[in-house]
Amino acid sequence: MDYGIEVRDQEAVVCLRGRLTFNDHGKLRTLIGEMGQNRARRQVLDLSSLEFVDSAGIGMLLIAREEMANADKQLILRAAGGQVKRVLTVAQIAKIVPIED
Amino acid sequence: MAFPDAASRHTATPSPSALPGASEPEAAHPADGDKVAVTADLLSTWLGFADVQRRTLDILRGELTRTSDHVESSTLDLSDRFRELAQKALDQSERVAEIVDKAGSVDIDGERVPLDTLVVTMQDVITDMVTNIVTLSRHAMSMVYLLDDVQKDVAELEKSIGDIDGINRQTNFLALNATIEASRAGDAGRTFAVVAQEVRHLSRSTGDLAERMRSKVTAVVKGVRNGHDILRQIANTDMSPQMLAKERIDKTMESLVEQTAHFQSVLQTAAAVSSDMSATIAHVVTGMQFQDLTKQRIEAINDSLVIMGAGLGELEARIRAEVPPGIGVREPQEWLDQLLGRFTLSEMRQRFVRKLLLEGTALDENGVLDLDAGSDGTGGDIELF
Repeated sequence: MDYGIEVRDQEAVVCLRGRLTFNDHGKLRTLIGEMGQNRARRQVLDLSSLEFVDSAGIGMLLIAREEMANADKQLILRAAGGQVKRVLTVAQIAKIVPIED
Repeated sequence: MAFPDAASRHTATPSPSALPGASEPEAAHPADGDKVAVTADLLSTWLGFADVQRRTLDILRGELTRTSDHVESSTLDLSDRFRELAQKALDQSERVAEIVDKAGSVDIDGERVPLDTLVVTMQDVITDMVTNIVTLSRHAMSMVYLLDDVQKDVAELEKSIGDIDGINRQTNFLALNATIEASRAGDAGRTFAVVAQEVRHLSRSTGDLAERMRSKVTAVVKGVRNGHDILRQIANTDMSPQMLAKERIDKTMESLVEQTAHFQSVLQTAAAVSSDMSATIAHVVTGMQFQDLTKQRIEAINDSLVIMGAGLGELEARIRAEVPPGIGVREPQEWLDQLLGRFTLSEMRQRFVRKLLLEGTALDENGVLDLDAGSDGTGGDIELF
């Protein structure tokens, strides 16, 4: 997995690409740190280019949400598709993290 | 008992061609008073005709009774079968209703659980399972991050112990120098030499302590690394396929409920049809009571035939008594031929022939019958044709 951050006025959009699995936990921790640092209150994870997420990836997304809440920020998941969307739906992540199309 | 116009009535029924005597003018015009002129030919024709007619009436009566009995026994048999059929249709309908009743639920530990309730329960269980997987994954990742930090801290600790060693070496070196300087100072440095010696002891103790700490820290590091590895393995076990299995299970459950509902509706229709069938058959059985009425009608007809036969017999006897002995009885051959032509059923024809031929006067003079009475003459099977 790799990512790119684009910080706008109201929100920071992080575009995740490839596969988000356990092996990316170090990278994701760095990303969470970066998201905590920037000034935007809304942190949007754009998942449109994410092809796959495993259960550890779901766990990391929830940790990210927690960290954002601790930093008084809001995490939003956007434009998930395919396997990622299916897993998010089955895991009922929408009950915990806002999901946008 | 008198039937004044029985003869004319009977002669009028068949076609004139069948009764040659009926068209004679003498029979139609009575003379004055009690006496009329009748030809011997006409009388002999009438006597033959009356004989055959009386027997024919008997035969008809027998046939009617036979027919009525046949209809009665067949109707009773049919009614019984139909009743049986109605009962079976009813049983069928009950059995199907039972299936319909059971199709919508399953037996779990002796308790009937509706299928839709069961599906909801199972979906809840699976949802809980998925939720647990998500929670576990999150906790596992938190632990992974924690142990990542612990490993870093422990590495720091190892480095710090190394630092203590460095400091201790320097302390020891200083104490050694102090001892040398103290011995050079002679008596003046004697007490200082004692302090330097104590510092060297202290340094050795510190070195021992650092060594013990290093050994313990090494054990901790090893344990933390092992734990970290195990945790990584746990967190690295992808449970997303198990989570996605919920989709498949949900679809399967939905399909199961749908299919069961479809079966139920089809079976309900089947039960209704069986029930209708049973009702229709009951109507059929009721409808078959026509036989009672038919039987009564046939009995009434038979009673009339008895009266007619008796009247004819009496009249025949009276006329025979008045006829001179010279006048014989002439068989109404053409009429018989016509009558026989009507009996196409071999069994019926057989009975007719037996009655007329074997109880009456000879009949097969001109080959009307092809009778093989070879077996025992009067009774048994007489095959015709």
